[in-house]
Amino acid sequence: MIPAQFDYRRANTLAEALTLLSQNEDAKILAGGHSLIPAMKLRLATPSMLVDIGRIKDLAYIREAGDQILIGAATTHYQIESSDLLQKICPLLPECASHIGDVQVRNKGTIGGSVAHSDPAGDWPAAMIALNAEIVAVSTDGDRAIKADEFFVDLLTTALQPGEILREIRINKSPGRTGQSYAKMHHPASGFAVVGVAASISLDQNGNCEQASIGITGVSAKAYRATGVENALQGVKLNDETIGSAALHATEGADVNGDLFASADYRKHLAEVYVRRAISAAIKSVASA
Amino acid sequence: MKIQGTHQISVARDVVFGALTDPQILQRCIPGCESLEQTEANSYLATMKAGVGAVKGTFKGSVRLAEMQPPAHYRMIVDGKGGPGFVKGTGNFNLEESNGGTAIAYEGEMKVGGVIAGVGQRMIEAAAKMLAAQFFNSLAKEINRE
Repeated sequence: MIPAQFDYRRANTLAEALTLLSQNEDAKILAGGHSLIPAMKLRLATPSMLVDIGRIKDLAYIREAGDQILIGAATTHYQIESSDLLQKICPLLPECASHIGDVQVRNKGTIGGSVAHSDPAGDWPAAMIALNAEIVAVSTDGDRAIKADEFFVDLLTTALQPGEILREIRINKSPGRTGQSYAKMHHPASGFAVVGVAASISLDQNGNCEQASIGITGVSAKAYRATGVENALQGVKLNDETIGSAALHATEGADVNGDLFASADYRKHLAEVYVRRAISAAIKSVASA
Repeated sequence: MKIQGTHQISVARDVVFGALTDPQILQRCIPGCESLEQTEANSYLATMKAGVGAVKGTFKGSVRLAEMQPPAHYRMIVDGKGGPGFVKGTGNFNLEESNGGTAIAYEGEMKVGGVIAGVGQRMIEAAAKMLAAQFFNSLAKEINRE
């Protein structure tokens, strides 16, 4: 439970953090430390240096900018969970945040850290995909915006390059009649998602599904877009029957994981159930808006 | 834990079999393999720095190839230990001619123990699949280069 020896540097600016990162090949960025530090204490991760970006000013914010919502990488889960602004314009984010870990994790852990870690059962990746978020990485060459669909590459692997730091998350505000929801089955011990489904559903004037965007986490090596479900919902009148048959596509094209707690078959079943729940809840939230 | 899969490589079966049993090629293809020394016929001592994302560990262990039936079949027995835990396993590799190339089918039983199993349980299967895919992709590149 004691980590291997490492150097610790606190960066006061992003530029300073980028320099430290480029000079030390084995360095890792420390933000909230709620994924990295436990891994280090178990010596599963043994970086030679930690570059702490937790005290860089202006890296934790939630702002509106035109049609977009900008969220700083060091914004904690709790800040998102308790944001009145987000509750109004993008309720999926606070809802998703409220499902993460426990009070301590939400109080210290950051959205940027969680997204960059790309835990296969992390909650944020599903929401990033459902909201078509853009993830902004900064390096000494400047900013690079990466679409959520291209950001999550594989197990604990993202499109971030060595020498890049996740700086900001950008989300387009959703149009008129849109409902969002995050449905999750918590692992009873770890709190991680056995299955987590983020859904954003837009309805047209007739109440048919105009656009469906669905991200699933916990099921495969990385969070993925449930394209099969989205296609099945497109243009359809949404009721229990159509939602149920669309949900059968939940794990289409995904390599479903099994572990001691949940076999692959059980996970596939759960994915279908939670896709149904997420879509139904999203539609209800349109109705009540 | 059981792992299994198939990979298609568009090269003749005897070439693929040769590559799969060539220590120099294997060393270049096994993700994170730092050294692979031959200790006796079909037995090797391997050091690999394996990992996924921030989670990495150095493993040392023996790899033995048995039931050699070129170019169709062999069995691999792995016994390794490292900082994060231990890995023991056996796997069968079956090579079949298909579509002018070779289909490699593997299936095996793997035991993973120690810290990595206790804490990383939910990720081990995905990690094994990812490392296997990396291995076969570099194997295909390696064979095509020669």
